[in-house]
Amino acid sequence: MSVFDGLKFRKVSSPIHNLDPRIKFIYVIAIFISAILFSQILPLAILFLMQLPFVFLAGVQKQWVKSLRGAAFLATFIFVINIVTKFFYNNWTIQFSDIEIALSMTMRFVVLVESFSVFFLTTSPDYLGLALEQSRMPYEFAFAFTTAVRFVPVLAEEAQTIMDAQKARGLELEKGNLLKRIRNYIPILVPLIVSAIRRSLELAEAMESRAWGAVKKRTNLYLLKLHKGDYILISITAIILITTLYLRFFVTIPSITYYINLISNFFS
Amino acid sequence: MAIINISNLVYTYPGASKPSIDGLSLTVEKGEFVLITGPSGCGKTSLCRTFNGLIPHFYHGELSGQIIVAEQDIISKQTFDMAKHVGLVFQNPENQLFALSVEKDVAFGLENLGMNREEMRKRVDWALNLADIYNLRERSPHEVSGGQQQRVAIAAVLAMQPEIIVLDEPTSFLDPLSAERIFEVIYKLNQEQGITVILVEHRLDLTAKYANHLVVMDKGKICFEGNPRNLLCNEEISHIGVGIPKATLLYKKLKTAGFNVNQQTPLSSDELADQLLKALKT
Repeated sequence: MSVFDGLKFRKVSSPIHNLDPRIKFIYVIAIFISAILFSQILPLAILFLMQLPFVFLAGVQKQWVKSLRGAAFLATFIFVINIVTKFFYNNWTIQFSDIEIALSMTMRFVVLVESFSVFFLTTSPDYLGLALEQSRMPYEFAFAFTTAVRFVPVLAEEAQTIMDAQKARGLELEKGNLLKRIRNYIPILVPLIVSAIRRSLELAEAMESRAWGAVKKRTNLYLLKLHKGDYILISITAIILITTLYLRFFVTIPSITYYINLISNFFS
Repeated sequence: MAIINISNLVYTYPGASKPSIDGLSLTVEKGEFVLITGPSGCGKTSLCRTFNGLIPHFYHGELSGQIIVAEQDIISKQTFDMAKHVGLVFQNPENQLFALSVEKDVAFGLENLGMNREEMRKRVDWALNLADIYNLRERSPHEVSGGQQQRVAIAAVLAMQPEIIVLDEPTSFLDPLSAERIFEVIYKLNQEQGITVILVEHRLDLTAKYANHLVVMDKGKICFEGNPRNLLCNEEISHIGVGIPKATLLYKKLKTAGFNVNQQTPLSSDELADQLLKALKT
């Protein structure tokens, strides 16, 4: 099942993978805020380029390109909508500055997608669960999260088995129109849900038998500790935020249109 | 000294019309290797669930009689209190592992007990080594084979250092070779760590040789109980639907045919082979 391949976790070690997920998350939020604050193409392009070292350090170029390709449709959509609205708004004329604004809006979206994809590509669910546990989130939530991740491949396998079994009894999945096809999946879903419920009961039983809920404050085998890299990332994050705020509120950022006008004025 | 003492236990699941355990009494001594067998639906699994209080605390239902396990009265204790004394290993290895790494799973119980990190680390490594899965500790439970998963489950209950380990058909999802490995691990724990083992199993062929206390159940009651060597010779036992080891069956046939193998009942093919060799040489 290729759909679930993306959710399988692999143990990879790289300077980026080993960073504390909490710090990485703060970094992503900082990039997010910066991208929202700027609306000019230049700083957004710089934000975009700034993620590249992370991608290469983590060695996730292939998956990263894939995720960008996934976002390409929405990005084009944003670009076209921007152009079209401007086009109608300005009485059926289009100016270079409009194109620039449309481009920067698209760029903003790409930066958001990019930074989140770097985060999820380089953070194992294991680590994410641990971060959830150690950021004062109730343990039940963190547990629900890691267990859900843990059972994705198991349920995917089971869905495959049920599909094979139903096909063997003559169920045709790839037949009929869209509505019919969706209805075809009911005989797959019902047994899958029933078995998932049964599974969850067994799971609850096993948890009970292993002292679930014995003490209020449970301990953890692992402890997330900040290392050198995490401190470097915190500093980078702080610098990004401060620079963003300074540039946004005290400096007028030149647009490309401005330069183009400058050059054309120079020649005329 | 008795570590488990059950007297006149009657238990009915909520919504069930007749009791699953019907007037059962059982005494298990410390350090014994108990083998429980019997046809499907005879109440073996229900009995296992009473050892750590899943029955009645998790399943509710109606219960009467007395259950004392490791000097604790089950009815007044919570399941998590019993977890320190009784470890339960279930049939399906997949549904009893919840973490994303083997190591974390083994630590799960200890984390719940609020143990400090250094002590936990030691216990986890100890348990991983006993179950012979130390090299798998960083793998995901989903990646390892069924037999390995079941050993992870055993390590997970071992880490809590219980006095009793209860295994409810731990090998029914496994191939014979992995099953044999599991039984060897369990036997080692029983012999070297002195842990009382209660094993529910159909395949007496593989397990009878380890046990020193055999319990045969039917219809919520114990019908036969005692040393497996004496018990498996019994003619009546085969009528209940107990899979008597092939070696024992052959021994009985030889004996009725007048062949002189005048020794104790063999429980495995190795034992029978020894006896036959001796008998043939003389």
